[in-house]
Amino acid sequence: MTLAAPVHSPVDAPATDPASTPVPYHPPVPSPRQRHRPRGATHLFVRALLGALATSYNHIPRLREQLRGVDGWLGVTIGVRTRSASVSAAIRFRDGHARTMSGVPEDADCVLVFKTGRKVRSFLTGTTTDQVFMLLKNDFYTEGSSTGLLMFIYLISLAIAKRQVKTMLREKAADDAIRRERAGRTDPDLAGRMQVRASTRLSATPVDPGVKLLDDPYLSVYSLEDFPRLARFLERHLELDAEVCPELPRLVTQWHRTHGFEVDEHGRPWHPVMRKALAYKYLMANRRPIIHPDDLIAGTTTTKETGVVVYPEGHGTMIWSELLTVPHRALQPYGISEETRELLHKDVFPYWLHRNFKEWVRDNYGSPLGQRIDDRFAVYFNWKAATISHTIPDFPKILRLGTSGIVAEIEAAIAADPGEHDRNVHRRSFILALEGLAAYSRNLAAEAARLAAAENDPTRRGELERLAGICAQVVVGPARSLDEAVNAMWITWVGLHMESTNAGLSMGRLDQCLQPYFEADLAGIDSLADIAAYVKRALELVGDLMLRCTDHLPLTPDVSNHYFGGSSSDQAITLGGVTPEDEDAVCDMTYIFLKATEMLSLRDPNVNARFHPGKNSDTYLKRLCEVNLITAATPSLHNDQAIFAALERYGAAPEDVRNWSATGCVEPTLSGKHIGHTNFQMLSLVAALEMALNNGRHPLMDWKVGPDTGSVEAGDFACFEDFFEAFRTQLAFLVDQSIRYNEMLGRAHQALRPTPMLSSLIDGTIEKGRDVTYGGARYNSSGAACIGLADVIDSMLVIDKLVFADCRVGFTELKRAVDSNFAHDGELLALVRNKVGLFGSGNADAVAMGNRITKMVQEIYDGYVNYRGGRYRAGFWSMSTHVSFGTLAGALPSGRLAGKPFTPGLTPQSAASVSLLDNMRDVAQLDPANMPNNIAFNVKVVPAAGESREQIVDTMAAYVKSYFQLGGMQMQMNVVTSETLRDAMAHPENYRNLLVRISGYNAYFVTLNKEMQLELIERAEYGL
Amino acid sequence: MSSATPATAQAQAQRSQRAPMLLDVKTNALDDGPGIRSVVFFKGCPLSCVWCHNPESRMATPELSFDATVCIAGSGCSRCIPACPQRALNRRNPGLVDRAACDLCFACVDACPPGALARVGRPALAGDIMATLLRDKPFYEASGGGVTFSGGEPTLHMRFLGELAGECKAEGIHTLAETAGEFAWERFERYVLPHVDTVYYDIKLLDPVVHRKYCGVANDRILGNFARLAALAAAGDVELLARVPLVPGITDTEDNVLAIGGFLLAHEVRRVRLLDYNPTWVDKITKIGAVNEFAAQPAMRAWLPHDAVSDLRARLAEYGIEAA
Repeated sequence: MTLAAPVHSPVDAPATDPASTPVPYHPPVPSPRQRHRPRGATHLFVRALLGALATSYNHIPRLREQLRGVDGWLGVTIGVRTRSASVSAAIRFRDGHARTMSGVPEDADCVLVFKTGRKVRSFLTGTTTDQVFMLLKNDFYTEGSSTGLLMFIYLISLAIAKRQVKTMLREKAADDAIRRERAGRTDPDLAGRMQVRASTRLSATPVDPGVKLLDDPYLSVYSLEDFPRLARFLERHLELDAEVCPELPRLVTQWHRTHGFEVDEHGRPWHPVMRKALAYKYLMANRRPIIHPDDLIAGTTTTKETGVVVYPEGHGTMIWSELLTVPHRALQPYGISEETRELLHKDVFPYWLHRNFKEWVRDNYGSPLGQRIDDRFAVYFNWKAATISHTIPDFPKILRLGTSGIVAEIEAAIAADPGEHDRNVHRRSFILALEGLAAYSRNLAAEAARLAAAENDPTRRGELERLAGICAQVVVGPARSLDEAVNAMWITWVGLHMESTNAGLSMGRLDQCLQPYFEADLAGIDSLADIAAYVKRALELVGDLMLRCTDHLPLTPDVSNHYFGGSSSDQAITLGGVTPEDEDAVCDMTYIFLKATEMLSLRDPNVNARFHPGKNSDTYLKRLCEVNLITAATPSLHNDQAIFAALERYGAAPEDVRNWSATGCVEPTLSGKHIGHTNFQMLSLVAALEMALNNGRHPLMDWKVGPDTGSVEAGDFACFEDFFEAFRTQLAFLVDQSIRYNEMLGRAHQALRPTPMLSSLIDGTIEKGRDVTYGGARYNSSGAACIGLADVIDSMLVIDKLVFADCRVGFTELKRAVDSNFAHDGELLALVRNKVGLFGSGNADAVAMGNRITKMVQEIYDGYVNYRGGRYRAGFWSMSTHVSFGTLAGALPSGRLAGKPFTPGLTPQSAASVSLLDNMRDVAQLDPANMPNNIAFNVKVVPAAGESREQIVDTMAAYVKSYFQLGGMQMQMNVVTSETLRDAMAHPENYRNLLVRISGYNAYFVTLNKEMQLELIERAEYGL
Repeated sequence: MSSATPATAQAQAQRSQRAPMLLDVKTNALDDGPGIRSVVFFKGCPLSCVWCHNPESRMATPELSFDATVCIAGSGCSRCIPACPQRALNRRNPGLVDRAACDLCFACVDACPPGALARVGRPALAGDIMATLLRDKPFYEASGGGVTFSGGEPTLHMRFLGELAGECKAEGIHTLAETAGEFAWERFERYVLPHVDTVYYDIKLLDPVVHRKYCGVANDRILGNFARLAALAAAGDVELLARVPLVPGITDTEDNVLAIGGFLLAHEVRRVRLLDYNPTWVDKITKIGAVNEFAAQPAMRAWLPHDAVSDLRARLAEYGIEAA
């Protein structure tokens, strides 16, 4: 397959004067019918509620004080109406006063449009959790500023805080009770059985050519008990709730208040890249250098032990509505100090009210359709509203050169391309960012020296002195030892997370990156005892690095707990595979990382393993399977050959393709050279199917948003091809709208948050003199995650076979059954579930349908080139949105009932076959060329009682090897029984770090919302 | 599907009695020999063991199976009833099907939405079976697995079995036959033995009278065939594993197990596998409308206590026999 002739980005930059302050968007004035003053009881009740709120703010000093921001009084006008206009009112906060009005004024910042009057009442009196559910269920939608709305919700919350918190505690208790009830009777002994898995460990003799030193690459003598320091860190990680950290938003807002955002203190327009670099340098130089107690690695992402980072220009303001309630919510509660709350509400968020990606697009492009669809959650979710950071920085480069070496390279590029042009503004910005990183590193060195001087324990003093020396060398100079390399990597990692959102930024091939330092260290060690001690120390250091990665969490608003439950930052690490020169890449460090993975069972970093069937050894593959067995869910396994095949058409240099690593969940990225924003969106394929069944109307949104493509009821579809075309048209419409929105968000990133620090570590930028957000990287692309593939394949098979080929069911009859959730159609439901060879059953027609749909999807994306000059790539994995999108979808022709989860990633539905091999063969036969952003194929396997460790591992390895041989791209195994998961649902305290793989990422099972827990329990389970 | 007159149905049944009948090909089998395997289940068996855990594999002809737990008559479905040309289906019939009236045209199977009515057994076609088996070749290779022929009794059709196993061998696939031993040795030696790597050989009862009582035939031929096979195995021509299915109160008695142990020793066989009793067969027999007085006994409905099996293993160990 070759690429069609390139097209250009479908969206131009907005015609905004960069020096002007943002002009807020206001929703259109309601139609005359809705402008009239309604008088119904609900309307009066709503006005009374708004009136009571206004009165509280006008008369209670404590509340009124909350309207006083750093820049003056907070102002926002919120309209509230129903679709029928039975309710139409507004509340306005301005100059320290609140007043309500009938009707919605022209200058409203945000209007909430409710399905019914009753829903308005529930909203105004509910908890923030209620409000989230109402939003997801499309009980209301918003027009205009969602940030303004969040401020308003916070103002409601302040007024009714006590009651809200009480209700939330009740909700939490009720939620726990529901979990216990849904779990049913469980066997508490199962927890112990999971724990003893780690006590049996295989050993091996070295066979991989890259393993230079390890006698037993499986490192079977070690267990966590041998590393008390790591055990303590792990305990803290599992025990502590996260806390919101105010440092970054405080310092960044401070800098901008002084130096301006759109224009500088002298009124000159800022160059966005230069502005970002200066603000970044200020942040890095002034943030607290912290060395975590007892740590071997210096530096922390936040000032909290587990900190939540707030990026105000990203999605930081999404927590505004929850500032009071976030410590009390059922899922992922965060601590937040009163001081931080005040800072965010009065100082930070008002400054960024319009200076965030979403609102920038709304204001500059006039609330485009693509954004309004996104705001309603049921169809697609565009990640660029939060971040673009899904990529792999060039760690080897900074280890090799240090910031000083990279600065020298940039200076040489400036000297070779002299002049005061844009390219050199970008290049000088990179230098500023690197100086910021260097300043942080020096501050850490000083802090280490200070702590060492004050330390009484001689061992710890020695460690701190050593750290002081390390931080004096790196990250400014090159790393010379494993210690220095690991510290340099971590300092850089912290630095990158200070620049852009901690979601999906990934670390790449750490085994390849660190092996040279490991070998160099060992060159100076002779005695066997010293070698053993060194290996142990290397393992501790790697474990420590992985634990350091848990010191931060992305800011998760409650709505995301239901959308992306349990997800952490998804910092992917990639191991194994082949080198850029096509040699076996498995080395000592590969096994050291695997051992640390086995001992710690962390959800993040997300460990991905590459396996090259022709080049990598069975010894390595079996070790991957054993670690997967012990941890129950990690690593995720990738087939190098299939990934190469998937990426071939993009024409990258073969050595760069061979150097791929996984970003975020599973997505292939060409390490250090590629900005692939590999998760620009999560798109529900099922939404397009529902719209095709309803002539462009989406049932849950109750919105005729798509084009006319024919009505089932009117008999517009004479054959299957007609209907398939309708599906294609609806999907193309959704893709088009979401890409337009993505392109606008891309421009927002260029204006609000270029990333000069990251740019200095991505190949191509220095030469081009261009930040990565402007397309400076050597390789560019955007990646989509398409959800519900198996559900769509099965639905299409049912329509094709039962309706058109066999004529056993009329299309109208099927449609009526789907619309009524098969409530009166038991026979039809049985028919669709049993008389059609589903995807995953070994049916060649189903595989053909799968290839047809994936090809069609990729061809739609092929019609676009992004604003950085890259192509769009389709992938078929779902994070957790197969559950959330499923909740928001009706029944399907496949027999899946309304509200039920879709299948995860592209995994066949569990009814497809009793044989796992049917599943594997069908998935393996999907052509990787149509799935360049990778897949997530979930398999739940459970060892039979009495099988030996060798037997279990051999069988797992045989599955993986055969699946890869058949052409499969990726698979991920959950090695845990449904019974154990049920027990964990009932007794979370016994399963604190029970790992599960959702679709692409790992989570602690006990942190998931109950819908996701049930989805995991209901997945098909195959014996080993 | 067209309906058959009783006469042609009878002829069909006779023909199918001669042609090998396939019950099922089970893929991803982990308990029927080494590695990941596919198991070809033939239909038809010369023995009639009362505890047969695959009762649907006993007859060498196709059968109609009805699973009441899958049937959705409760929600108003009755699609099968008018679909039957013989009017053999009626809710008032125990097990739905009037077996005397049913002529096995299987029109009802196609009509049944949830698949509660199913056809058991279809003519075994070597080409189709090989195509199914070859799909999983990578799994056999990666796991040291292969193909297992089971039943029913796979040796009922020696030539067919031998050809199929031979085709597998030509593909480099490991082959294993599971047999109850009631076959003509010469034909076995000629057609099958050259193409199987391993034989799993079930010995149930050593006493010929008791054997006839519970299995329907005497055991002299079974024991004789075993002796010949053991000699070949000792010479390294084939791998042989003796197995004893444990059935409560029938085969699991110490007398019987030790008698079998003695027999094995006499033929210098020192390895045996005791197969745990699986009581789920009792629910299977009603689906095909069969009657079995043993199924009603409480002992038949329970798993064997773990200790009892360990004791038997220990006693065999005293004989110098390793019992897995």
